[in-house]
Amino acid sequence: MSKIPRLSVRHLTKRFAALVANDDISLDVMPGELHCLLGENGAGKSTLSSCLYGLYQPDAGEIRVDGKTVQLRSPGEAIRAGIGMVHQHFVLVPGFTVVENVAVGTGSGWRLGRAEALSRIEAICSTYGISLNPHQFVGDLSVGEQQWVEIVKALYTGARLLILDEPTAVLTPEESRRLFAIVRRLTGEDLSIVLISHKMAEVMQSDQVSVLRKGRLVGTVVTSQVSRDQLTTMMVGRSVAAPTRAGDAKAHGETVLSVRGLTQLRDRRPVLDNASLDIAAGEIVGIAGVSGNGQDELFECLAGLAHPDGGKILLDGETLQAYSPATIAAKGVGYVPSDRFRDGLVADLDIGENLVLGQQWQARWRKGPFIDAAALDANARTAISAYSIAATGPSAPSRKLSGGNAQKVILAREFAKATRLLLCNQPTRGLDIGAIEFVHRQLLRKRDEGCAILLASEELDDLFALSRRIGVMFRGRILAVLDTKKATYDEIGSLMAGHRSEAAA
Amino acid sequence: MTDFNLVEWRFERRLDPRPAARIVALAVAAAAAALVCSLLFIAAGASPRAAFAALLQGSFGSLRAAGETLVKATPLIFTGLAACVAFRARIWNIGAEGQVFAGAMFAYWLQHNLTGFPPFVQIPVVIAGGIVGGALYAGLAGVLKTRFSVDEVISTVMLNYIIVYVLSLLLLRGPWSEAGGFFEQTPKVDPDSALPLLFSGSRLHFGFLLAIVTAGLVQMLLTRTPLGYEIKAAGSNIRALEVQGTNTRRLILVVLLVSGALAGLAGITEVYGVHYRLKAGAITGYGYSGIIVAILGQLHPVGVVVASVLFGALLNGATLMQIKTSVPSALIYAIQAILLLFFLAGWAACNFRLRRVARA
Ligand SMILES: Nc1ncnc2c1ncn2[C@@H]1O[C@H](COP(=O)(O)OP(=O)(O)OP(=O)(O)O)[C@@H](O)[C@H]1O
Ligand SMILES: [Mg+2]
Repeated sequence: MSKIPRLSVRHLTKRFAALVANDDISLDVMPGELHCLLGENGAGKSTLSSCLYGLYQPDAGEIRVDGKTVQLRSPGEAIRAGIGMVHQHFVLVPGFTVVENVAVGTGSGWRLGRAEALSRIEAICSTYGISLNPHQFVGDLSVGEQQWVEIVKALYTGARLLILDEPTAVLTPEESRRLFAIVRRLTGEDLSIVLISHKMAEVMQSDQVSVLRKGRLVGTVVTSQVSRDQLTTMMVGRSVAAPTRAGDAKAHGETVLSVRGLTQLRDRRPVLDNASLDIAAGEIVGIAGVSGNGQDELFECLAGLAHPDGGKILLDGETLQAYSPATIAAKGVGYVPSDRFRDGLVADLDIGENLVLGQQWQARWRKGPFIDAAALDANARTAISAYSIAATGPSAPSRKLSGGNAQKVILAREFAKATRLLLCNQPTRGLDIGAIEFVHRQLLRKRDEGCAILLASEELDDLFALSRRIGVMFRGRILAVLDTKKATYDEIGSLMAGHRSEAAA
Repeated sequence: MTDFNLVEWRFERRLDPRPAARIVALAVAAAAAALVCSLLFIAAGASPRAAFAALLQGSFGSLRAAGETLVKATPLIFTGLAACVAFRARIWNIGAEGQVFAGAMFAYWLQHNLTGFPPFVQIPVVIAGGIVGGALYAGLAGVLKTRFSVDEVISTVMLNYIIVYVLSLLLLRGPWSEAGGFFEQTPKVDPDSALPLLFSGSRLHFGFLLAIVTAGLVQMLLTRTPLGYEIKAAGSNIRALEVQGTNTRRLILVVLLVSGALAGLAGITEVYGVHYRLKAGAITGYGYSGIIVAILGQLHPVGVVVASVLFGALLNGATLMQIKTSVPSALIYAIQAILLLFFLAGWAACNFRLRRVARA
């Protein structure tokens, strides 16, 4: 029996000036199939999905939906062709409520009327077990919740083909499991799904995988017939070791960061509740926790972006909380924020400029009153090769970087800046496995140089591989700080869910 | 041979508008604006040909006319640059109007106490007075914004109103009023404080040179200095700038100070280069026109100079146009607005392209 593919891509090519982001790609997705796109950062996955969603016009090639050739000039046309998409970077309007975002953004518009839109959204939420308050402003939602809004929005259009570009990058493991349950229900209803993910565990759940490398299709394989290692080898061109427990630093020194009873209130409810923590020089302390349990607030207090309502932060014995981000940064503190495009990068500056963001007055980037373009250029070239950032060069505009490459620019800058303390909130989010391995090595190098590191990650693998101790956050509290050697995944998992364990040290 | 049934034209969004596309768009916008202006001239009962000829003759027809055009362009260059610096950082300084007043008033306050001193004392004091006066007045909006979170659009507009009345008060029965005069104006200033003329036979004065040099400096500031870097970053994502350790409150204040200083210079070129006395009529309107000039000039210093000269030419040529044809000179303001609209449309159009593709 030969079914007609839901989606056929034939010889699709997309160029950005000299760069060939998609080079002669052909693939098929059958009805009810979960099809993964796998590839390193900058391999061209988002570009391909943008072509499928009418955001970019391919330079050559053909797209067929249910056997019919389609011309997708705009997302509106893609939606009418039955294609829905959740973007890697959200395209929601923060000042609109959930309903408004869903109804407005999908082109089906206000004609439907607010009440009907609302009831359809509620129907979708209850069918798939998504909990969202439709009247909340999107700006007030956590990144994970915004992801659900995007998903509801795509379902709302009645898509038969759904493209999910790294949807789980910002979801907690629990939320990701829920998403996969929904995905499986959808494929059961004969919907086709194209999923982009860097997480091998998720990729392995798909029906087929297409592997991209440097814009070319390496091949499409049936997932059940390949192993994880084979896929990574296809993707990177070499085999990559899974993260393993790294040896401890030879010695760790005096306490660098000391947090005492940190409390922060929002609407009179504590978002940080009496949190205490110490980090010594040459030590990595991990923070585990479901996102939205105070991690972002903790990091923002430490970086000087928010002022705690109670408690103390000491850096090398000196009180920190009266300082501005500028002063804190000047003390050798690097900060990798969790929302990279909001807090970490200036899209209109090029890579070279972004690499000195916040340091633009420093003598080493200046020549008299002027910015030393040559120094910026040299610095950028070093970073681009050291972090293998896929870009045309130092003057490539940051807004055109792929998600993972944008993160690498931030890492390069902050790792260079941090001499005393490095604050990393979700540093490996959205990175490919090769890049994650690289970040791990860099974090260990910083540690061995004597830097104190606070590392929050939703990937317990990251934390177990790198940290000496792991603190677990729940509802703004640090429930326990465990010695990694003695801790187990289960123990941490149950603390993350708020069950206090006896082993708390 | 092309089978026309199989191809169609379609509009697509351009990712990177090419410079050539911009030039074409500019030309088309200019042609369209000229067309609409012609219709206006016809409606006013004049032949478009004659009207345009008079405009051109009045603005560039002689050395004297050209000089006058540049005199008119001078304050616009300063206020245009003021808007350019602030708007690039997405700080909406609508207060150039008030800052022009503040610059002129502060300079006058300093200078009229120095009457009798030689030019090399008075002229630098006048220029410094313009800079400081404009900067301080814009700084007030800056403090309101950074200390008390008052939106700069509202505060700068309010401050525009306030200073007009303050000047009126000072001139009407206040200490600056002309003894025995009927008009709201100061007496003539000491000739030794006036900005020197560049040529004989034209009113073109030193202020124009100052404007051109300033445009060059602003260009350098924006593209090559750390402050320019911060302005660019603030215009794109000021939060990231703050997170990564830049004091953005100070930046906002500094940008407003610089913007205000530029506007303040427009005040002194009019008072000390053209009218030789301080009166509201000498300095009114340049702040708002500067915003239009800055937008027409694409928030680029060179563009600001070009747009200012264009506006100066229109203002200057209008008089001759009114004399030679029956077109009222006030129509010039309509022409300015038409230019703005067409150019904005042209630039928006740059982001699209027409492409021929095979029909599905
Ligand atoms: N609008 C654009 N203009 C120029 N180059 C672009 C543009 N968009 C993407 N690119 C480049 O195309 C390449 C592919 O980018 P793409 O975003 O598709 O990567 P990706 O596979 O999604 O990576 P990631 O996993 O990091 O999200 C990158 O080198 C990127 O810099
Ligand atoms: Mg991507």
